[in-house]
Amino acid sequence: MSGAKSSAAMPVSRDPLEPALMIEGQQTDATLNDSLFDYIWKLPSDGWKKLFGVALAGFGLLVIGITITLAKGIGAWGNNIPVGWAFDIINFVWWIGIGHAGTLISAILLLFQQKWRTSINRFAEAMTLFAVMCALLFPLIHTGRPWFAAYWLMPYPSVQGIWPQFKSPLVWDVFAVSTYFTISLLFWFLGLVPDLASLRDSSKSRTARFVYGMFALGWRGSGRHWAEYKWAYLLLAGLSTPLVLSVHTIVSFDFAVSVLPGWHTTIFPPYFVAGAVFSGFAMVVTWMIPAREVLGLKHVVTLKHLENMCKVMLATGMMVSYGYIMEHFIAWYSGNEYEFSIFFRTRQRGPYAPIYWLMIFCNVVTPNIFWFKKARTNLGVMWIASILINVGMWCERFVIIVTSLHRDFLPSKWEMYYPTWVDWAVFAGTVGMFSTLFLLFLKFVPAVAATEIKELRHELEHDAHEHAHGVAAAGGAH
Amino acid sequence: MSHGSSFVPRRFVLGQFATAEALLEGTTKMRSKGHKKIDTHTPYPIHGLEKALGLGRPKIPLIVLIGALTGAVLAYAMMYYMNAYDWPINVANRPPHSPILNIPITFELTVLLGGTSAFLGTFVLAGLPEPYHPLFEAESFRRASIDGFFCSVEVPAGQDVDGALADMQSVGSTEAQIVEESER
Repeated sequence: MSGAKSSAAMPVSRDPLEPALMIEGQQTDATLNDSLFDYIWKLPSDGWKKLFGVALAGFGLLVIGITITLAKGIGAWGNNIPVGWAFDIINFVWWIGIGHAGTLISAILLLFQQKWRTSINRFAEAMTLFAVMCALLFPLIHTGRPWFAAYWLMPYPSVQGIWPQFKSPLVWDVFAVSTYFTISLLFWFLGLVPDLASLRDSSKSRTARFVYGMFALGWRGSGRHWAEYKWAYLLLAGLSTPLVLSVHTIVSFDFAVSVLPGWHTTIFPPYFVAGAVFSGFAMVVTWMIPAREVLGLKHVVTLKHLENMCKVMLATGMMVSYGYIMEHFIAWYSGNEYEFSIFFRTRQRGPYAPIYWLMIFCNVVTPNIFWFKKARTNLGVMWIASILINVGMWCERFVIIVTSLHRDFLPSKWEMYYPTWVDWAVFAGTVGMFSTLFLLFLKFVPAVAATEIKELRHELEHDAHEHAHGVAAAGGAH
Repeated sequence: MSHGSSFVPRRFVLGQFATAEALLEGTTKMRSKGHKKIDTHTPYPIHGLEKALGLGRPKIPLIVLIGALTGAVLAYAMMYYMNAYDWPINVANRPPHSPILNIPITFELTVLLGGTSAFLGTFVLAGLPEPYHPLFEAESFRRASIDGFFCSVEVPAGQDVDGALADMQSVGSTEAQIVEESER
């Protein structure tokens, strides 16, 4: 509505070749402040309550699933020998991958000075946090007795005198994922503090003022504070960038350092990272399309943002496809019969072949629609494609883990894997937990980094002013 | 009010400016008038604030460097001590001290301590959390985090607060006032 009004008010029609807008309408700091926080001050809508109810039910399923797992042990799952890793690690890798988009958007795009990141970084960072929480659950409970896991993994002096084995990628994983969670949380909170101060100052009730005031830590926009803050934010971005690449690299080492056909591949680290960003962006799009509608964020999360995300999905989708091609090529080129068998027989024609072909359809075929601008600007197409990509990426982890394990070197060892209802409950439960946390985030925390949007608006206005001034002065200084 | 005369309220002169550019100009002028404890309050960082406030080099980069190096040294020393010195275990005949396999955790702890020091460093240097600050007494100061551009000067006890107020009015502020700490 506001977009239409302002374009009507504008005297000159926009040049179709001019790049699309990043902030729509005539905005000031005050209108941005009002519109971005509007949803927080309103009572939750019916849609939010219904979704929250469903999400909470899903969360309940997680509690049940975990309780049964802990009470009965991991025998409650479908895992067997040889399929010792199944839903637990599939879900772990899937969730961690989803988290990667958040860090990519907040850190890497910041370093590359991509201005469009500003509208979606907070949203994606929150997604990172919740996805990593879900991911962390799995390695924890897959040990069966997590209370024992602490001294296999954490380097603390115990009476047994045994230290963790630092040559194991599984221990690297513990350090990588916990560092990733901590740094993502700090980065997210650092960016949030000025917004919490704005919330404190624009609140109408005493309670809101007190609560947001506590979390804002007394931030008062001091120039002396900003001077250090800007550096801290930039350096955190600089540290997060290699961190996010390292996390999925290390996750892929869990597989790549083994001798199992289908796992023992040097392309795993880059291909895992590309797949992670691919699925992460898909998850951002899945949530962003309804959220921008309901939260009234269409003036800051414009079609340009969504289109750019589609382009990232296209690019990373192509990288993932390249990964698949190389895996198959090397399996053939190596002349190793086990490698050949796993890629060309077991996966393509074995008992789990439908999942393999679903993966190929979702991850290789689907992203190609984003070559077309019509698809990149059509919300319905985008939304369905993003869901397909998430399904595809889950299937990819299933294919990597289960098909490789269920038929390895000795045919006498071959065994099928079937998930039990507890497996499904825990998986669905993490989706519920993620949704619960995400809905709470959308309601109580600004989903768009208002401070950064205001800063962007200031910059854009400044640039436009300079530009106009430069043209008027016909090549004048500055 | 209970313990009477010992409380000396901190006094500030607070000026609001119409635009970021006016704030930068006003702040520079206030500084040239000899005021010492100047600060600005803006909803977002503004290019040129450091210069207007006359700030030196930021301290955060050095803090992060120290944090990151500590992390690296700590990680490597920990792995060396645990796996090569204190309790070497022969796993598949790998050497007890294997520099290559120590890279991932060394990297992770470098990032962890570097990042944590960036975060904590910012708040420690800023003296936050500090939920109460005398400036919050001014009702208009609420706008400092929304859309207002402010300059504040702390006037030490015994110095002329009205003179500072006059200075603030003369450097282009749209509104200037004296803010006093309240006794709690």
